[in-house]
Amino acid sequence: MRAGRLILYVVLIFLAFVYLLPLWSAITTSLKTGKQVTMTTPIQLVLPPYFGAYKTAFSELRKPILNSLLFTTFATIFSVMIGSITGYALSKLLKGSTSKKLLMFITLGIFLPYQSILIPLLRIITKLGLYNTIPGMILTHTAYGVPITTLLFTNYYHEVPDELIEAAKVDGASPLKIYTSVVFPISIPAFVVTAIYQFTNIWNDYLFGVVLTRGEEAMPATVKLANLKGSFVANWNIQMAGALIVAIPTLFIMIVLGKYLIRGYTSGAVKG
Amino acid sequence: MRSKLREESLYSLLFLTPAIALVLVFVYFAIAWNVYISFTDWKGLIPSYRFVGLENYRTLFHDPVFWTSFRNNIILIILFVPGSLFIGLLLAVLLDRKIKFENGFRTIYTLPFALSFVVTATLWAWMYDPSDGVLNTLFSMLHLDFLKSNWITDPHVALYAVILALIWQFSGYTMVIYLAGLRSISTEQYEAAIIDGATPLQLYRYVIIPQLKKPTLSAFVVLMVFSLKAFDFIWVLTSGGPGTSTFILAVEMYKETFAKTKFAYGASIATILLLLSFAIVLPYLYWSYRGEKE
Amino acid sequence: MAEVRLINVWKRFGDVIAVKDMNLEVRDGEFMILLGPSGCGKTTTLRMIAGLEEPTKGQIYIGDKLVADPEKGVFIPPKDRDIAMVFQSYALYPHMTVYDNIAFPLKLRKVPKQEIDRRVREVAEMLGLTELLNRKPRELSGGQRQRVALGRAIVRKPKVFLMDEPLSNLDAKLRVKMRAELKKLQRQLGVTTIYVTHDQVEAMTMGDRIAVINQGVLQQVGTPDEVYDKPANTFVAGFIGTPPMNFMDATITEDGFADFGEFKLKLLPDQFEALEDGGYIGREVIFGIRPEDIYDAMFAQVKIPGENMVRAIVEIIENLGSEKIVHLRVGRITFLGSFRAESKVKENQEVDVVFDMRKIHTFDKKTGKTIF
Ligand SMILES: Nc1ncnc2c1ncn2[C@@H]1O[C@H](COP(=O)(O)OP(=O)(O)O)[C@@H](O)[C@H]1O
Ligand SMILES: [Mg+2]
Repeated sequence: MRAGRLILYVVLIFLAFVYLLPLWSAITTSLKTGKQVTMTTPIQLVLPPYFGAYKTAFSELRKPILNSLLFTTFATIFSVMIGSITGYALSKLLKGSTSKKLLMFITLGIFLPYQSILIPLLRIITKLGLYNTIPGMILTHTAYGVPITTLLFTNYYHEVPDELIEAAKVDGASPLKIYTSVVFPISIPAFVVTAIYQFTNIWNDYLFGVVLTRGEEAMPATVKLANLKGSFVANWNIQMAGALIVAIPTLFIMIVLGKYLIRGYTSGAVKG
Repeated sequence: MRSKLREESLYSLLFLTPAIALVLVFVYFAIAWNVYISFTDWKGLIPSYRFVGLENYRTLFHDPVFWTSFRNNIILIILFVPGSLFIGLLLAVLLDRKIKFENGFRTIYTLPFALSFVVTATLWAWMYDPSDGVLNTLFSMLHLDFLKSNWITDPHVALYAVILALIWQFSGYTMVIYLAGLRSISTEQYEAAIIDGATPLQLYRYVIIPQLKKPTLSAFVVLMVFSLKAFDFIWVLTSGGPGTSTFILAVEMYKETFAKTKFAYGASIATILLLLSFAIVLPYLYWSYRGEKE
Repeated sequence: MAEVRLINVWKRFGDVIAVKDMNLEVRDGEFMILLGPSGCGKTTTLRMIAGLEEPTKGQIYIGDKLVADPEKGVFIPPKDRDIAMVFQSYALYPHMTVYDNIAFPLKLRKVPKQEIDRRVREVAEMLGLTELLNRKPRELSGGQRQRVALGRAIVRKPKVFLMDEPLSNLDAKLRVKMRAELKKLQRQLGVTTIYVTHDQVEAMTMGDRIAVINQGVLQQVGTPDEVYDKPANTFVAGFIGTPPMNFMDATITEDGFADFGEFKLKLLPDQFEALEDGGYIGREVIFGIRPEDIYDAMFAQVKIPGENMVRAIVEIIENLGSEKIVHLRVGRITFLGSFRAESKVKENQEVDVVFDMRKIHTFDKKTGKTIF
């Protein structure tokens, strides 16, 4: 029994090494000079660390990271807000089969292979004059975020007892008033989960970014990172530094707020 | 009462309009438009909507690259989906034993899934680099030279290398799903089975795993749909190469559409992708909708 | 079949002592009840017998076999203890049919298929489950699920049945019915049974003997009559019986009275003698009397020497139909009486009440232990 536990921990720790290996070797490599990269093994950490690779990578990624931060923040806010009011309407204002059908109608978008709307999307965004713009990215990510945020909020609101809303109704509050003074405050946990989930998803996107942007005006960090691969072939230290810079926000979220992100995954969520 | 009801439906309309409008335009209208484009001869940067019927599909079905992509997609599904489910289940079962630092382990295993595919593709490009890359260096160090490989530059290995990396990235996700499933099974179930005389293996085989149908199915659907639309990771890591050895449908669609600007042709591949994924998703949604009614 | 013995058993969870120095002997074939308030350690005790928890200290025997003794490093896992357990939530396997649920323990023991089939059907017959064998647990009512859980326990023919509040999820009516059925079944099978409950009515009606536990400490073991009529201490006296026993502080006077300050009651000679022997004269004791031993003087059945009658004010009446629970007050002292339905008492009026002195209890003020 005791030996069994020991083996269990050994297995878990071994697996942890395996899962961390790509990240670990990225960290070590990103802190080396080009020469050190070829002279030492990728597993080895070289001291003192060399930050030149980060400097180069960051100067390349600075503007795209700002772009990503900007549109990710706004698209997160918009898609979460819309998801919340839609979820409220679907779970508390409408009942029965209408609400179920509408939910199906909206959430089918979660399983959409984006390839199948990519060409029309490019046309729509271009026609709106939003090609290669931050607003274009915000609109796109809001639109394709709504299905999942709606699902997350609807599931959450289903757990909220109807009595709570009925009590406010009896007190004479309008649905809008009920939303702002009852529903919104009690759904802060759902907002946290959904917002974190959306932020990671949008930040991590590549497909929309590569199709809807060209220059650096609106290019997301992920697209720029992919481009670095071409411009710094075999400069592994710069590539790894770039990858880690782009990974920082989501790594931070996973390590510090992982509980919420995982709740997002488990309440019926999917990755882009 | 009547006016109250009318007020409610007015508000639901108000609350539902943004979501419905967005979904209508960006999902349903866009799907229809894409299907329509697939029936035209649009090639080049200027849209052209001349109707050519099923011409694109006919070309597609005679295109060997399409069949290569299709075959690769099938291989991807066959290995990646059960692989991720199995390893996720294994991790979940290991972690579900009152482990110290459970949160730490869970975070480590889930970390890859929180990363962008562009990031993980960059990391794995370094892992798989044949000359100085992480894996080959490591295998040299450990005197495991028989495990060394040219990885993504070897057409016979590339697809499997891609699949391995994707399992690395997704098994944390399936683990989390399974862990939630395991946690929803009451401890009394475990205890009852132990008292009934089950060994740990029998406990999982007969009592616990059969109760994980629901998480398995939902993870299965997510993984299936991902296998169809997987693009970012493969595109950044291999661009479908070497040759067409890691082409899958989503990669081919992108290449035809945006590299070769054969928009109508790309739209037809996209339509096939859509049909395939709805063939998986619709029964699932129907099943879970019915399941809820019970 | 076997007896079960716990010898100086302790169980500690971190700082919490869940079970403290428990000594308990359950006889072969006996229906033993573990009774106590929520959190007192009943479940923990049962789980140690089952092998789901390891005691921190002490020995547990099932039959002649030592199944747990941390000092000797002995710990027999549940499956080798030959016990069966019925859980509060039944713990039926939701993905298996009733048949498979009952058959599962036999399958794990590699019993031949035909034998399994014979025994499952026999048990199903006994419990009236024959028609339901192909259903899944979720298609059953609460009472039916309860029976399946019993079936799964019975089919193994174990040495000991362990049951943890098995009736608490049933509605009141069904609970009464199952109480009788369970008891009958246990008699019929003659298997040693340890049954956990916090419901004293269940304990009184079902048990051959009752072990009353409080805060991890065994208070008293005895037949239902014994724990009711001769409670070992104030806890047992107060826990068993509804409405609960009245406790009042009284000083024992030299002339043989229990003096409550507001009034006095004359003790019977042998009672006074017992108090005198214990050195309680002139000291305070806890005086206990059950509400049903306090009568409306107009309907009193006991011969009344004048000294044991008191005039009290009726504060509240709870009319139960068959009887009236009357909240009484004399000065600052309040107590309950359980009066016959015919009693004409009215709220806020005075009434003469009679104490049946033969039924009183006294307890040591400090230790709470029974004096007589
Ligand atoms: N696994 C455990 N970990 C920590 N404390 C526990 C555990 N199980 C029981 N306890 C504590 O031990 C005491 C007795 O619990 P239990 O035996 O379940 O009581 P009962 O069944 O009589 O209600 C309680 O204070 C409870 O909180
Ligand atoms: Mg209990």
